[in-house]
Amino acid sequence: MTTTTFEPAAPETDLRRRGIRLGDLFFRGIAVAAALAATVLLGLIAWKVFDLARPAFQDFGLSFVWTEAWNPVTNDFGALIFIYGTVVTSLIALVLATPLSIAIALFLTEMAPRRVAGPIATMVELLAAIPSVVLGLWGILVFGPWVRDHLEPWLQSVLGFLPMFSGDPNQAGILPAALVLTIMIIPITSAICRELFLRVPRDLIDGSLALGSTRWEAIRGVMFAYAAPGIAAAVLLGLGRAFGEAIAVNQTIGNHSVIPSSWFAPGDSLGSKIASSYAGATSHLEASSLLYLAAILMVISLIANVSAQFIVVRFERARRGL
Amino acid sequence: MGERGRNMKRALALAFALIVVVAVAVFAGRTQSASAKPEADSLVGTGSTFVFPLVSKWIPAVDNALGIKVTYTGTGSGTGIAQVTARSVDFGASDAPLSPDQASACKSCVVIPWGLAGMSIPYNVPGLNGRLRLSGPVLANIFLGNITNWNSAAIKALNPGRNLPDKKITVVYRADSSGSTYAVTGYLSEVSPQWKSKVGQGTSVNFPVGTGARGSSGVAGVVKSTEGAITYVDAAYSITNHLQFATIKNRAGGYATPGVRGVTAAVSTLPKKITNIAQLKIVDPPTRAGKMAYPISTFTYVIVPTSSSKAGDLRKFIYWAVTQGQKFGPPLFFVPLPTSVKGFTYREIKKIQGT
Repeated sequence: MTTTTFEPAAPETDLRRRGIRLGDLFFRGIAVAAALAATVLLGLIAWKVFDLARPAFQDFGLSFVWTEAWNPVTNDFGALIFIYGTVVTSLIALVLATPLSIAIALFLTEMAPRRVAGPIATMVELLAAIPSVVLGLWGILVFGPWVRDHLEPWLQSVLGFLPMFSGDPNQAGILPAALVLTIMIIPITSAICRELFLRVPRDLIDGSLALGSTRWEAIRGVMFAYAAPGIAAAVLLGLGRAFGEAIAVNQTIGNHSVIPSSWFAPGDSLGSKIASSYAGATSHLEASSLLYLAAILMVISLIANVSAQFIVVRFERARRGL
Repeated sequence: MGERGRNMKRALALAFALIVVVAVAVFAGRTQSASAKPEADSLVGTGSTFVFPLVSKWIPAVDNALGIKVTYTGTGSGTGIAQVTARSVDFGASDAPLSPDQASACKSCVVIPWGLAGMSIPYNVPGLNGRLRLSGPVLANIFLGNITNWNSAAIKALNPGRNLPDKKITVVYRADSSGSTYAVTGYLSEVSPQWKSKVGQGTSVNFPVGTGARGSSGVAGVVKSTEGAITYVDAAYSITNHLQFATIKNRAGGYATPGVRGVTAAVSTLPKKITNIAQLKIVDPPTRAGKMAYPISTFTYVIVPTSSSKAGDLRKFIYWAVTQGQKFGPPLFFVPLPTSVKGFTYREIKKIQGT
């Protein structure tokens, strides 16, 4: 900061200084209050969700998590169907979105001329501005039928020997939902990756190039190594978004309460089930079971976040060791 | 930094103070406007999207006739029940009566039938000449996944002379909780013991096969874009959206359509005096209902707390709806309530009392 020089204080400046101290205090108070409010709010939400899920927890116990059932008529509930849907759609989305995002970021930072890079970067980021419900509608009306008529038959002809690419093509199912999720998480991961690549010190890359490495070797050996923890965090941020998405998945996954053997077939996810069923739950146990699903979703997201931090720390340590 | 830094801090502090003041003002304004009760002679309701076209016709008419202003939003039966349970609206509307848990949560609510209509079975079968014919057991087997192809022998037997394609059947159902699902699963439970034991009746059930979509428009959209699809949706929706729908075989052996005549015939066999909502069973009517009787119809209900500060207006509005209001039904494919049901509604309306 500044070096304060003590000059004979005129009464006026003294007053002003005191006023500033008051401002400081005020500012600090607001900052602390905001930070506390966020923490308390999180705690209150978590507590309420777990509290409302308690009747279902008492009825089904922990085995709810690995029970494959959802029958509002017989009041038989379990979470496995929806955990499967959430995890599988999110992981497919992650596997597809990660290389694509890195490729987009590399193109924008390393290959594209500046005049092209700017507009494309904005466009990719604008993809994130499409409301998920609109993306879901597009999934129903345009993308789903295309997947059913073109992509899935092609996948079947090439990879049909695998169980997940067998069965009848469907416009709503695990695969269409995963692809819509891919579109949703690419803007986040690619924007973060681009930021990371821009921050790699130029000297390092220039040095590597000067030592005779090719462009690709410089990217792989220097840029990736430097940005690795950030990329891992970006990917897990995208995963968190994919886990939590309810509406777009709801519109494209087919809402069928089974674990499908094929990725073409309809299934359901945690967020999607809560979104479609909570308003019309006919029994206390069903409403409570839906909140149990919400609690599970919160725990899964928490695990994703914690592992993100863990990975970042590990990478950071490994890099320092280098 | 020095002087500039100080000014900066001051500006920041001032900005925060301003934000806080604005936030407080907005918040205070909000709570004040929220606590302001709507005018005494206005009723607010929400729920069923199915009954929405009919209620929309009622709103100007009831304002003219009784001077009661009604606001209604179609948010879905489940939301209607939840909102009236929370007492955030004056009445809720649902296509299915309250389940025991919902009734106890609603704390002395009356459930009054105020609309009646047929449920159609739309399909998308390319190249089919003429209208598809189905029977209850065949429909149940399609929804159970026992019949999976349009050219199966069971469907062919009901449709002589029709060219049924070799096409997989895709069952489409409502993913959200729905009165339509309640009506159709009620019918299927009636005609198929296997459906009754394996799936049962409810506003949302565990469909053995198929794809779920949200709302009438959702299922209709999937059916339109999927060859070989079949679903269920209220008759008004099918007719206004030009969906092809099947005729259904009734007990008298006729193939009936879900129009006004078909549903009127179906309710003709209800008991003369109705004292309980459970007596309002109109799916799969007996043989004496005749060959015209359409076997899948449903009542739609208004749900009102028995003690309400607007009891007088609610009584007047609902009485008007079940009497005068019924004549707005037929153009929208709603069927006027039969006399026996009207008698039941009068007795239920009397239970709405002031606080």
